[in-house]
Amino acid sequence: MYTVRNQIICAARRMAPMWISLLGMLACADVNVHAEEAHAITFEEDVRPILKAHCWQCHGEEAELKGGFDTRLARFILRGGDSGTAVSKSGHKDSLIWQRIASGEMPPGPKRLSPEDTAMIAAWIDAGAGTLREEPESLVDEGHFTEEDRSHWSFQPVVRPAFPPIKGGSFIQSPIDMFILARLEAEGLSFSPMADKATLIRRLYINLLGLPPSPEAIERFLREDHPESYARLVEQLLTSPTYGERWARHWLDVAGYADSDGVTKRDTVRAWAFKYRDYVIDALNENKPWDEFLVEQLAGDELVSRPYRDLDSSEAQKLIATGFLRMSPDGTSGDVLDQELARNQAVAEVIKSVSTSLLGLSVGCAQCHSHRYDAISHTDYYRMRALFEPAYNWKDWRSPGARLISQWSAATEAEDTALQQEASALTENRDKELDEVAESIVQKRILELPEDIQEAARAARSTPADERTAEQSKIIEDHAFLKVTGASLQEIDGGAKNEIVEKWDPKIAEVNSRRPPRDYLMPLTEVAGSVPVTFLFNRGDHKQPQKEVLPGGLSIIAPPELNIPVDDPELPSTGRRLAYARYLTNGSHPLVARVLVNRIWMHHFGSALVSTPGDFGTQGERPSHPELLDWLAAEFVDSGWDLKHLHRLILCSTVYQQTAVRSDLLQRVDPENQLLGRMSVRRLESEVLRDSLLSLSGQLQQKMGGPAAPVSLDNVGQRVVVSRTQYDPSGRLLRDVESVGEDKYRRTIYIQVRRSLPLGILVPFDIPTLNPNCTKRTVSNNAPQSLQMMNDPFVIEQVNAIAARLIDEVGDDIPGQIARAWRLIIGKSPSKFQMENAIAFLSDLEFELRSEGDDDAPTTHQKALAQLCQALVASNGFLYVE
Amino acid sequence: MAFFTWNEMMPKVKTDLTRRHFLSNQAFGIGGLAFASLMQQDGLFAAPQKPPLQRRQFDLNPRAGQDAPKANAMISMFMQGGPSHMDLCDPKPELTRQHLKTFEGDIHFDNVVQKSRKLFAGPWQFKKYGECGMDFSELLPHHGAIADDICLIRSMQTGISGHETGISAMNTGRQRRGRPSMGSWLVYGLGSENANLPAYMVLRDSGSLPVLGAEMWQNTWLPSACAGTVVHAHEPRIANLQPPSGIPNSVQRRTLDLLEQINGEQLDRFPGEEEFAARMQTYRLAAGMQVAAREALDVSQETQETHRLYGIDDPTTQEFGTRCLIARRLVERGVRFIQVLSGDQHWDHHGGIVSSLPKTCFKVDKPAAALVTDLKRRGLLDTTLVHWGGEIGRLPVIQNESNIGRDHNGVGFSMWLAGGGIKAGHIHGETDELGHRAVTDVVTHYDFHATMFHLFGLDVDDVTYDRPSGSTSLTDGQPGKVVKGVLK
Repeated sequence: MYTVRNQIICAARRMAPMWISLLGMLACADVNVHAEEAHAITFEEDVRPILKAHCWQCHGEEAELKGGFDTRLARFILRGGDSGTAVSKSGHKDSLIWQRIASGEMPPGPKRLSPEDTAMIAAWIDAGAGTLREEPESLVDEGHFTEEDRSHWSFQPVVRPAFPPIKGGSFIQSPIDMFILARLEAEGLSFSPMADKATLIRRLYINLLGLPPSPEAIERFLREDHPESYARLVEQLLTSPTYGERWARHWLDVAGYADSDGVTKRDTVRAWAFKYRDYVIDALNENKPWDEFLVEQLAGDELVSRPYRDLDSSEAQKLIATGFLRMSPDGTSGDVLDQELARNQAVAEVIKSVSTSLLGLSVGCAQCHSHRYDAISHTDYYRMRALFEPAYNWKDWRSPGARLISQWSAATEAEDTALQQEASALTENRDKELDEVAESIVQKRILELPEDIQEAARAARSTPADERTAEQSKIIEDHAFLKVTGASLQEIDGGAKNEIVEKWDPKIAEVNSRRPPRDYLMPLTEVAGSVPVTFLFNRGDHKQPQKEVLPGGLSIIAPPELNIPVDDPELPSTGRRLAYARYLTNGSHPLVARVLVNRIWMHHFGSALVSTPGDFGTQGERPSHPELLDWLAAEFVDSGWDLKHLHRLILCSTVYQQTAVRSDLLQRVDPENQLLGRMSVRRLESEVLRDSLLSLSGQLQQKMGGPAAPVSLDNVGQRVVVSRTQYDPSGRLLRDVESVGEDKYRRTIYIQVRRSLPLGILVPFDIPTLNPNCTKRTVSNNAPQSLQMMNDPFVIEQVNAIAARLIDEVGDDIPGQIARAWRLIIGKSPSKFQMENAIAFLSDLEFELRSEGDDDAPTTHQKALAQLCQALVASNGFLYVE
Repeated sequence: MAFFTWNEMMPKVKTDLTRRHFLSNQAFGIGGLAFASLMQQDGLFAAPQKPPLQRRQFDLNPRAGQDAPKANAMISMFMQGGPSHMDLCDPKPELTRQHLKTFEGDIHFDNVVQKSRKLFAGPWQFKKYGECGMDFSELLPHHGAIADDICLIRSMQTGISGHETGISAMNTGRQRRGRPSMGSWLVYGLGSENANLPAYMVLRDSGSLPVLGAEMWQNTWLPSACAGTVVHAHEPRIANLQPPSGIPNSVQRRTLDLLEQINGEQLDRFPGEEEFAARMQTYRLAAGMQVAAREALDVSQETQETHRLYGIDDPTTQEFGTRCLIARRLVERGVRFIQVLSGDQHWDHHGGIVSSLPKTCFKVDKPAAALVTDLKRRGLLDTTLVHWGGEIGRLPVIQNESNIGRDHNGVGFSMWLAGGGIKAGHIHGETDELGHRAVTDVVTHYDFHATMFHLFGLDVDDVTYDRPSGSTSLTDGQPGKVVKGVLK
């Protein structure tokens, strides 16, 4: 029996860490040696997960119990259903449940159980169909959680682990080194050598600022011979405001940041989303403690007193922070077929974002039925939904536009109203004058008509269009001038119209120009006094509300003392999100800190300790270094949720400073670098690629914050560029795009994220897929990327500018130009061979260009130099960080 | 036993088709660039020796399967959304007889709000075509012309009725997301026949992508050269194919040579860094694509007659027809796997099916049939496996009585295969008398994958990739059987 279990387990279980599967294989090969690994097959551990995934929906969860057979407890299975007993004492071959499964009859359809799962059920029956412990009397909350559910690793409290014993102490620069080294030593490995200084400074710059170091910064760092020079550099970069711009992007992926609503073709622009982006950048630069940062994003509005008028900066920031909950796609202002569905979808997207970003769980799967794999019940989903219901009330919906809050003071409001009235008065006067002139011209023209129809013409003109007789309509048709009003005066007298318009319009424009600029916030707020009821929806269908559900956390981990108020009397809002946010950040939630530190780790190393950063459930991967993950989580919380502290711990570690070159041994033992016996090389993200090119060419704009630089299709409609689309006065799109000047060269984080128009230069190098948020980016390597580096107009523009910059900075000294190009673009000095090669390349290329008819010596050289720069920016030395 | 794995890459190379052979026989001069670098690697140009640590890398050298392959390329026309089989190619007289009567059996509704048990027979007339007498409704008139060339499978069943999950199953083997697509597995197994074009190309629709988005053609854990390269529905179908103006080709070639050198030295410093080696490959590929892809995508080289055959002269079929024609041109040029996508939810007729299904059909019918006809007359059909089908079918009952449509059906639907060793003029399998559930000779997604790989001379279970967590394959341990009944 033990043998069966071991074989089944090692075949069926998905165990991420290499050593576990090795262990499993050993156990298969030689059961006796590892018999202590084995234990009896039980319902809870071995059989229930299979039945939960494949059988429960029809045989347990739904109101109609198929065949009268419930598979949620062993007791129920033994009892059987309409067809009789399901399990026979004489073994699995005589047991109905096994027969039905093995014959493929169950589950219906071709989704058969795997041979391993079927064998497991057989083995369980043959072993006596036992349970680990006594089963509960009754099942509450559509199924119940077992000890196995509760013992899932990520649901356990974070306990700061002791440091593991290690042999070699000299490598330890940071506590985290101990955890990594202990594992390495267990595999007979150790750390790789430190990377050289030129590599380290580029690694730090790209990682912390998203930009390459300048040649001067590199030279300075190389010259410095001080034990603290590395730590000082870390400190310097962490205090640069550019750090916030770089690291905000990571959080914006998780938040699902976009400057448009998505869903419909119109993809309405969110003109005020940028304030949330700036809030995130500022919070990171200020090193706002993450408990505060999260509370503000989940419930900042509940910390500000109503009405939301005349706000001071801190209050405004708290409201802006809730933009986190406004980032998901929301089609309700667009042309959607089913408005109610669109509202419920918008709410579902918010829940998805919150759960994958903060809990690392796909709670969204429980929208229609209890989660198939994780211990998240159908009711849990609606408990979570109830947190947001007062703000996202689908029965009393506010479209995105209606959710905006004006920042204007009462005085500004009054001022604007007065100016608006002034402008309308002027407009009225203008229109009146146009009408009068039109009328007098038309009356004169009527007199030119044959006398017998003049009276009829006058009558036809004065009759409203829908009341005219057929005869009158004909007169109007025959004499089109009769239709003319002030608005169409140009049809009979363009000159007169122009004269009037030119007289009035400048006056109107002048008044309008004095109106104060619009200023809105895009927060999530509740409607005062409104406390909507949340219902559980059968199969997720909002047209099938069932029982009422109160707000709460996930029941598997919620502590008994957790109290989410339905409507907190102390607060003007319901207080639901505020209570929830405080619970998440009270330091004892098992998931929040783990999920955060795991993601921070991922951004430093390219891969995370839990390689599914959005899924800490049973379908996600296990942590490669569980103790390290817990230590980091504990340290993060104990430090007061201090992110920069966490950065320092990681950046100053030996693990982080290792070379990325793989030794032969490491390559054999750990090709995917799970043990971190070296650094991994990482490709630049698309934003870093664009920003770095702009930085190399010297064109990058330093301006921080503010409205996003717009994007639109270029004049030939082929690629999306940073430019403003022009519309004609009637709102029709004009093909001509308007330059946005220097804004074209702003950092990518300040370029509009229009869901329907991803910036062309970013697309090949993997932009985050927002559905609705992105917990992990894909990294691809394909020919369109290469074509971009070879031929894209933006890349060409940048390499030309880099060449011009080199000549400008270095003068005519060709080896000097080459050395600086290397230093600038890939942060290194060229080898002697590379230098000679590059000199030969430039001279060959100049010859080639001249033979192609290019005989202007200075530009020929610059062109050749630009080609050299292009080869460098296209090279792996630039596209990757070692 | 694994056919080959990442860590022990021992591809079986056809003796007459070494990489150098096929590079030097390229019709386009740019191939010379890659050729030169290959010579360098071989030490013929006295380039620096690679250090001994240099590991064997994954490459795209063409390889042959263990068994004699019938097919060497595949075109998959993916009809996303779920074509209504009983209205197109699976006529059910019993459904017509029971029209508007109540369906009594077990049925799974995806849309419970608008569900109805009222049976519904479409208003479209069926006719038998070809010597084999294959039935098509008036919505697929052009399919009649290829009836004797294709094998219609009427017994598809995945048991999965969602779009995302269904596409994942049909395209990646499992309903769970995040696995390599079938095209990636095929390229991983067999490599590429043309160094100047990607081995796997995706001709996307002008509308939005199928619900999986870019995951549709992902390689995930397979080497990055196995990912699909996207070809857009409008110009520029592939961006940046045109070298910058003012830079002569000869200059660009020198620059790329320099790049190759710089990258080569970098790789020497990072032995075993597959990612670096792979990117060097994509530059060689991209260099070749500048000429080869522009040429391959240029349908203006085709005759008027061919344009008419694919319906490129007709606004209804112009868009899909052009992409089908491009697919044929890519097959001619040695591209291994081409997926022609229909728009997102194009076939998802939950409502207004009577007016909207014909529109969908007319966009696709003529070009799809033309593709088979054209491949056949050029002698390419024998070695090209053609697939036409979606991820689900539709239910025989009404969804939404006020605006009649049909809901998803994961237990019975149709698709067709042609060429590449597939039995022509044959109908395989049956659904029940109402077209609801596949009952005879049921074919699952993993059976489809096993059959597809078999035609390429591969056992789908043998094309594996080892990860630390274990061995992986397209069928992922599901019991896929080669469907003998559809083979020649």
